[in-house]
Amino acid sequence: MRISWKWLNEFCKIPLSPEEAAERLTVTGCEVESIERPCSTLKGLIVGKVEKLQVHPERSDLFVAEVELGGPRVQCVTAAQNLREGDTVPYGAPGSVIADGTVLGKRTFDSVVSVGMMLSAEEIGLPGIADEFGILRLPAGLTAGEDLIKALNLDDCILEISITPNRGDLLSLIGLARECYGVIEGSTLEKQELKPPRIGDPGSVSWDGLTLADPGCPLYGLSFAPSVQIRPSPMGTRIRLAFSGIRSINNIVDATNYIMLVTGQPLHAFDLDRLPAREITVRGAREGERFRTLDGQDHTLAEGDLLITSGGIPVALAGVMGGENSEITAETKSVAFESAFFEPLRVSRTARRLGMGTEASYRFSRGVDPSRVLPTLSCLFEYLLKDGAHQVEENVRVVSSRSWEKRRIPLTRRKMHRVLLWDDLEQASKILQKLDLKEISATGEKRVFEIPTSRADLSIEEDLIEEVGRLRGYESVPSRIPPLLHGTGRVGDEVEAHRRIRVAAMSRGFLEIVTYSFINPKWVEWLRIPETDPRSRGFRLTNPISQDQSLMRTTLLPGLLQALQTNLRSGWKDPIRLFEVGRVFLPGEEGEDHRESLRMAGVSWNGKERRILHEPYLKDDVLSLKADVLALCGSRGQIPDFSAGSEPFGHAGQTAELRLEGKPCGYLTSIKPGILRELEIPGPVFAFELDIESLLPEKGFRFGQVVRYPAVYRDISLIAPLSRPAASVEEDLRKLGGSLLRELVLFDVYQGAGIPEGTRSLAFSLAYGDPGRTLRDEEVDAIHEQLRRNLSEKGYILR
Amino acid sequence: METINAKIANIRENMMQELDSAGSSESLQALRVRYLGKRGELTQMLRSLGNLPPEKRPAAGQALNELRQEIEAALEARSLLIARAEDEAREATDFVDVTLPPRGRGWGGFHPVVQTMNEIIDIFVGMGFSVAYGPEIEDDFHNFEALNIPPHHPARDMQDTFYLDNGRLLRTHTSPVEVRAMLRWGAPLRIIVPGKVYRRDSDQTHSPMFHQLEGLLIDEDVSLADLKGCLNTFVGAIFGRPLDSRFRASYFPFTEPSLEMDVECFACSGRNPSCRICKGTGWLEILGCGMTHPNVLRYGGIDPDRYNGFAWGMGPDRVAMLKYGLTDLRVLFEGHGSFLTGGGY
Repeated sequence: MRISWKWLNEFCKIPLSPEEAAERLTVTGCEVESIERPCSTLKGLIVGKVEKLQVHPERSDLFVAEVELGGPRVQCVTAAQNLREGDTVPYGAPGSVIADGTVLGKRTFDSVVSVGMMLSAEEIGLPGIADEFGILRLPAGLTAGEDLIKALNLDDCILEISITPNRGDLLSLIGLARECYGVIEGSTLEKQELKPPRIGDPGSVSWDGLTLADPGCPLYGLSFAPSVQIRPSPMGTRIRLAFSGIRSINNIVDATNYIMLVTGQPLHAFDLDRLPAREITVRGAREGERFRTLDGQDHTLAEGDLLITSGGIPVALAGVMGGENSEITAETKSVAFESAFFEPLRVSRTARRLGMGTEASYRFSRGVDPSRVLPTLSCLFEYLLKDGAHQVEENVRVVSSRSWEKRRIPLTRRKMHRVLLWDDLEQASKILQKLDLKEISATGEKRVFEIPTSRADLSIEEDLIEEVGRLRGYESVPSRIPPLLHGTGRVGDEVEAHRRIRVAAMSRGFLEIVTYSFINPKWVEWLRIPETDPRSRGFRLTNPISQDQSLMRTTLLPGLLQALQTNLRSGWKDPIRLFEVGRVFLPGEEGEDHRESLRMAGVSWNGKERRILHEPYLKDDVLSLKADVLALCGSRGQIPDFSAGSEPFGHAGQTAELRLEGKPCGYLTSIKPGILRELEIPGPVFAFELDIESLLPEKGFRFGQVVRYPAVYRDISLIAPLSRPAASVEEDLRKLGGSLLRELVLFDVYQGAGIPEGTRSLAFSLAYGDPGRTLRDEEVDAIHEQLRRNLSEKGYILR
Repeated sequence: METINAKIANIRENMMQELDSAGSSESLQALRVRYLGKRGELTQMLRSLGNLPPEKRPAAGQALNELRQEIEAALEARSLLIARAEDEAREATDFVDVTLPPRGRGWGGFHPVVQTMNEIIDIFVGMGFSVAYGPEIEDDFHNFEALNIPPHHPARDMQDTFYLDNGRLLRTHTSPVEVRAMLRWGAPLRIIVPGKVYRRDSDQTHSPMFHQLEGLLIDEDVSLADLKGCLNTFVGAIFGRPLDSRFRASYFPFTEPSLEMDVECFACSGRNPSCRICKGTGWLEILGCGMTHPNVLRYGGIDPDRYNGFAWGMGPDRVAMLKYGLTDLRVLFEGHGSFLTGGGY
């Protein structure tokens, strides 16, 4: 909210500079985001009076004015069409500075010298106050030669304050003045009391009735101006509205806005003659009902929206915006002013749904002060009287269905001390009374306060403690490390597992990335994930920022591949290995709403055709990545089993399924070349994804026996069908090798000439040993021979 | 006897001379053969001892053996010298330019936010907080209602929410875990909740996904003083030195009182009016906090008359950006190798 410092000081005299006040307001909860001095660039401008005005002797599109400056006279050329002799205007002599920083001088227009310039509203930095095109014509009563800044009260500054949603009461000068009085030592409050209006006098306007047909509007008041003259607002009003960020429309609409800024109560003006009937009913909208607001927009309403209707026809969307059908126009002759209380949540819902954040809906959503609803109409009455040229009637027609009790809230010594470590109830009471809270009972341990209706945010004792705390200043609360530790803090398995695995990955050259949890839904297609796969059934955002970010990921792979693409597109050529740890979001099983699973995934790309010194050593393949996966799992003391597997996006011949204790825990694969082609990633790309939850139970690290007697080595070479995994051959060797077989290492795999088609030769080095003694050669020969016989019986061809 | 002694002296002299001039292990080997080999001079003399009269044999034998030991020791010493010289010569030619690029893989690299998050976790674990987690896909109840934010409340405007096709939403803060944790563990309670949160907002300083770390302490007689102490300790730890702080009044529906914590700008300490980090204010907004609202305690099944507590929520992304001097939040989530490796890899 933008607040004029001078205007604010009319309601509360603040003995500080704007900067000092801003600092204090910020610390106590009204964050002042900036202090602007809208006219601070202006220098040397004065009021000039146009004494004579003639058409330029050589150019018919220009005028030559003789401007009186309180003594001297100068000659000025202008193209503006709106001047008359006798007008007073802003004038800048040579050397003075206008809003955009231009220093004025003398200029010649076709042989006529123009000294300085007569200025438009824009040139003095306030385009919003112009009421016509051309030079700004100043109100009567200003003297030629007078300082312009002083004359128009432009030496003001604007505080841009961000008001928290609980403090609707601060969206008014009266409310903010009260706050300043409470938080700024030495300030004095002015003009707080509002006069209640006269009610019940029938007045001169015949009126048939007000009906409240929806509890969303418990109080509605209407007053009338039977005869008005529509014209621009007085200059002072236009300037204040401009300073407050509100566009000037005409004197009637401006009046409602001006008064709203003072009391916080939004008002609406209907063209009385355009109301379909001399009757108003407030009712709930019907689902699908259509309404055109005065900004020309058509809206489809929903149940729950509140409508002001007249003769059955909607004339305003309550608390949000009036209708085009009854808005004030240049032809308006008579006006009805509305001031009402609308339920905050109702207005808030409508405004949010329709995206109509207006000054009115903003205030109604945060709750207006019900006690100001009717007095605001008498403020308006006074304002219009001053404006003159109107016939206004002070009498107000009112209908209400509810009364507002003032809440009473206790403040106890015990609770206040608990939070603030301070228990001076007497001082606390003084603080609260500055905020217009009335102490109605007092004992040594407890005070009870009556809360003004403007402070809807105060409802429990903690709220009062906050008021005391923030006004006293939180710097007065000491600082201590919380006592009473009940136990040690625990990082927990998930963080622990994540940390170990991440450090292991980084040590192996992987770069940690974090990508968005929402992805482009096209990835499901790009990765060829079939409908039967739960990973194709991710959750969609109903209101994404863009389609690219509209599906909750079911695998970490898209983020990694996309990061790879991003890097490649920006010209990255070196080998790169990326990993991410994060959650994926899967459809729930067995009545679960959904499942979130913590994953770790990595990709490796071998780099683009580029000469690298030690290239062969840097090339990854599925087996080199297998070593990485084993290392990552090893950091948790886990060793997964690898078996041939399949993934929709995985190379059919180069995909492994990973299991821990028989349960699937991830995959290792080379991405399908076809997919990489479509993604424009020159392959290959190797990838893995692990379920971190299955790595949570850290296997106790175990240590082996100390070996003191050297092993005896024998080799064995055998031929096995290609379809038989190496792991299963190893398993046979272990099973058949006897208890002295200590270790075996596969050292050669061969297929080709000399070996039957469909088979391959595997050569192992076997170590036999006994922990208690050195084995003799003959002993080992016998065991080894037995193993060979066993293998033959099993069907292996031994070489 | 004299002849033998003369011979021995002669051999010793020759031998030592030749030894001095032997420059390689080959020439050394030749010397060894010449004197100590099967037909070596010394060996032959030993064999010829039998020709001496018996009474002279012991003395001659002893003299010869001494000579033999002497020669062996000299050969050994010389051979060590030569081996070392030869090694040195070989090492001089077997040269590796250690400024060549390494072979194999180096250190990968960490993500600044994950790293910062871990550092923050450790600081609070040290103060007795344990890590708790909750779902990122939440329901309206936990994300809003149980946190004292009724439907259509203007406070919801503070957090523009993503909704899902299953009627759920993406949590807009880590606060929903507060209520879940209270219901699960009850009071007293000290937890921190690190995690991702989502808001429908995207510009240079807003990302639709970002990180938060929530903290909650519930006990008997908890004061704002405890909150200040805890968070001041944190700030000192994360930025490496104690920094001034100030607590401003603010508003969050789930805390009462509500505060925002600013810390002294660690770059300029408020001394540089055109400081880029604090924009000349001297303060950095770092987190929101407050005393847990009694309604929230009630939703968590905790008696607000007996227990109270405080909570805070901070942005590790922002802390990381401050720590590492980063200016654009969104690049944190794009996986640029050039950014994450600082240009090199």
